[in-house]
Amino acid sequence: MRISPAGLLVVLAFAVPALVQARTVLAFAGVHVSPLQTVLIGLLVLTAVVLWAVAPGSGTEAPSEPNGG
Amino acid sequence: MSAETGSATGVASEGRTYIDQFPGEARLVRTAFWSSFVALGIGGLMGLVQVLHRADVLRVIDSTDYYAVLTLHGVLLALTFTIFFLVGIFTWAITTSLDRGLEDLRFTWAWYGLMAGGTALAAIPILGGLTDAVEMSASVLFTFYAPLQAHPLFYLGLALFVVGTWLAGLDWIRSYLAWRRENPDERIPLPTFMVLTTLGFWYLSSLGVALAVVVFLLPWSLGIWEQVNPLLTRTMFWYFGHPVVYFWLMPVYMMWYLMLPKVSGGKLFSDPLARVVFVLFLVLSTPTGIHHQYLDPGIAEGFKFIAMTNTMFLLLPSLLTAFTVVASMEHGARQRGGTGTFGWLRALPWRDPVFTGMALAGVMFAAAGFSGMVNAGMNINYLVHNTFWIVGHFHLTVGTAVALTFMAVTYWFLPQVSGKRLWNRSVALAQVVLWFVGMVLMSNAMHRGGLDSVPRRTAEPQYRGFEIEPTLGTMAELDAQIVLGGTILFVSLVLFLVVVVMTGLGDRVDDLPANEYAETLSGPEDAPLVLDNLKLWVGIAVVLVVLAYALPLAAIVDRGGLFGPGGSPFPVFVGCLEPTVSASVAFLGDHLPAAVSGWW
Repeated sequence: MRISPAGLLVVLAFAVPALVQARTVLAFAGVHVSPLQTVLIGLLVLTAVVLWAVAPGSGTEAPSEPNGG
Repeated sequence: MSAETGSATGVASEGRTYIDQFPGEARLVRTAFWSSFVALGIGGLMGLVQVLHRADVLRVIDSTDYYAVLTLHGVLLALTFTIFFLVGIFTWAITTSLDRGLEDLRFTWAWYGLMAGGTALAAIPILGGLTDAVEMSASVLFTFYAPLQAHPLFYLGLALFVVGTWLAGLDWIRSYLAWRRENPDERIPLPTFMVLTTLGFWYLSSLGVALAVVVFLLPWSLGIWEQVNPLLTRTMFWYFGHPVVYFWLMPVYMMWYLMLPKVSGGKLFSDPLARVVFVLFLVLSTPTGIHHQYLDPGIAEGFKFIAMTNTMFLLLPSLLTAFTVVASMEHGARQRGGTGTFGWLRALPWRDPVFTGMALAGVMFAAAGFSGMVNAGMNINYLVHNTFWIVGHFHLTVGTAVALTFMAVTYWFLPQVSGKRLWNRSVALAQVVLWFVGMVLMSNAMHRGGLDSVPRRTAEPQYRGFEIEPTLGTMAELDAQIVLGGTILFVSLVLFLVVVVMTGLGDRVDDLPANEYAETLSGPEDAPLVLDNLKLWVGIAVVLVVLAYALPLAAIVDRGGLFGPGGSPFPVFVGCLEPTVSASVAFLGDHLPAAVSGWW
């Protein structure tokens, strides 16, 4: 994997506000995206992120994480 | 910046957990946490009930009971959950940083009992509003000013709760003074400094609401006063109502300064900057409440402008915090091999729910800051006042920055105060991420709805003969987004409660991490001594409060009297004597001067 499972989870979580807010921002620019289109585009983006994350890495693994507290 | 000297934080623990160091105090902190979790569970359930009701998806209550549910949601989450957690954190901060237990645990349990008893008393009439079996209610919302009136038990409970927090503060100050006598030349340890500055503005601001409750609202609900001045009680509420936001936020800031750098694997960037931030909050938190009253007709625009200016100054400590905390995180990431302009982000411990929860809470707080600037601006506030925008805003502040940080640090604190291992880190991680996603969906729709004038504080936002036309999408779409977000939040809340209950049911272990907080890159030795002069900062805070509030309060009382237009300063039970007393006063006024001059 290119990033850790926890890192992937956080990237997916960050994608949600980006997708939700992008629809609002696009509407300001006169581009109207329906909720269904947003969901479909969102699923595509999230799938792409997952595929990128699980694909064999370039050899630069994420630094290890401590056990924390 | 000095070399990496670091303060001696955490050294005193000698590798021990908090419960090993301070078993008595750990029991108190644990009990305070459980009190806050109970409030969180009930309050969160009420939130789901409201979300489903407003969207007309599922109605388990009658619309006439909506305000009782809303009051329970607001009071339990905004006051009980937050402040019980705060007293737990502050007790930990004082004892850990001063390396001494509290002076008398009987006194400590007395203030806890007062807070718990006050909460129970206030909850009884709120719950009474949900049934016809008892003749009592307190459906006055978290903002409990007149003209809405609650059962006297509600006000009595609130008063006891606030007095409990005052006594808790005295307990911590007592510890500090005892430490100071033994260490006259030491700098105040940073966690203790944070507690003391927070207490400074808490005493100053909660005095306003205590006076409003004890002098006006409680006697009014008991029938002693016939009426009160709504604008006066409203102003006195907001005198407390905005600083209480910072009362919730200061323990969050404390966690961002003390724990986030530590779990990131680094050190706090600057102790002096942290002290400056807390001093600024002490000075500026209280003279701002009138910005909640921009639409109140009884307060002159000039006073509102002063409140707006003070509020905008509060952005400074928040921006300083953003800089310091992110710099500390970057330092931690680079210490552990992170490189590049943004590549260091990958080296952060995203698998740790304590870190991820706090980091996500910080991100959401940045968004809350931007919507807060809209609220604070006198002109644009008119666009969003009393709309769903405001609800979206405070679900980002208290509902995420505070709640998510508290939940995240629970995963560090609970093992410390119970001696038990966290039940399941993966579930805990999913929980904090779900909260973030749920709140993004819900608060986004709330903000958008508010811009389209969707009202807050109503069970029926849509009604016959009036159509709300959203700028983007439809109302049904906004409702769906809010229901989805609210449901995800509730699932996250259930997961949180599962993790803490399962942790509580676990066995004691002896290989937990030590009770420590972040060391500093630039320590207290780099901070000017004047920062520790708390008398000076409290004095300046008092002066600013007098400047911001003396004239508005005088104008309100001058125009409407202490008890409102037509109100009498005589208690109702002596009202029958009022004509006699008034006639006597008039008689004396007419005859006394002549009698006195004749006597001379």
